[in-house]
Amino acid sequence: MNVDASTVTEFSSHRMVASRKLKLTQSDAVANEEIALLARLRQGEDGAFDELVMRYHSALIRMAMGYVADREVAEEVVQDTWMAVIEGLGRFERRSSLRTWVIGIMIHKAKDRGVREKRHTTFSSLESVDDDSDETIDPSRFHQSGEWAGHWALPPQPWDGQTPEKLLASQQAVNAMYRAIEVLPKTLKEVLILRDVEGVDANEVCEILKITATNLYVRLHRARERVRQAVETYLEGQSTV
Amino acid sequence: MTQEEGPPTLSEITCREIVQWASAYLDEHVGDERKRQIAMHLAICAGCETYVKQIATVRDMVGLLPKTVEHPSDSHRLRHAFAVHARRLLSGG
Repeated sequence: MNVDASTVTEFSSHRMVASRKLKLTQSDAVANEEIALLARLRQGEDGAFDELVMRYHSALIRMAMGYVADREVAEEVVQDTWMAVIEGLGRFERRSSLRTWVIGIMIHKAKDRGVREKRHTTFSSLESVDDDSDETIDPSRFHQSGEWAGHWALPPQPWDGQTPEKLLASQQAVNAMYRAIEVLPKTLKEVLILRDVEGVDANEVCEILKITATNLYVRLHRARERVRQAVETYLEGQSTV
Repeated sequence: MTQEEGPPTLSEITCREIVQWASAYLDEHVGDERKRQIAMHLAICAGCETYVKQIATVRDMVGLLPKTVEHPSDSHRLRHAFAVHARRLLSGG
């Protein structure tokens, strides 16, 4: 069960962080493209609106599903969002990015719709349960007392040879991750989708959701941990087959 | 809050704390002192090194999950609305 500490030769944080930096560079490129797209939109250029829709429609649907929990309603919310975007383009002052503005409109419409459909009651109760919980991970995995209190009693087992590519090649693993994301409470799902699925940088996520960076990382980590547990459970199932 | 110099010990920060800080650490959203504590801990704790690697793997995988491409069900209406509003904008209305 225990991992031999001598096998830990070099911690690969540089590689892990480098991967994030690559995403940030991509994010800068997205911002530059947005400025050009906005200029074309304001010129009423044919195709510019189609491009905007193509760029964000799928992401908006994914996020809207987190608020209204019904596919058809999510589509209506996003359709309403696009109408509001069209109507608001002339007033958009670029105090935020185009993406932040569009997503903000969608969230506003989705929340409004959720309130009207009284679904928010269910979501609110889920949120409060989740937000009040301090535990990201089962506390019994740590020693509760003694010299090793707070340290692993049941450490995670390495995913030997399981690269992201290998895991993503397994339909079962992919399904396990989808399920884990699908059942996340709204507050966790929205940060995971924005930050990790759509690659929106942390500051922009905070701006869109109007939350602090501390809050973002608490939520983001809980969301990632739940997906990690889903992968862990999947791999444990594989090893016992 | 100052830490004594000397060989790193696991007790400077617990595994449980590492778990809480993992995502912020991976995003480099921790202060220098916290970053040092975490890095030291990870260098000598296989369980936490594994854990943080797994969270990084999850982060990367979530971004690579196949995404369904969605299209608006009423794109003609949207295009028309855009064209009408664009004309209005350009004419200064």
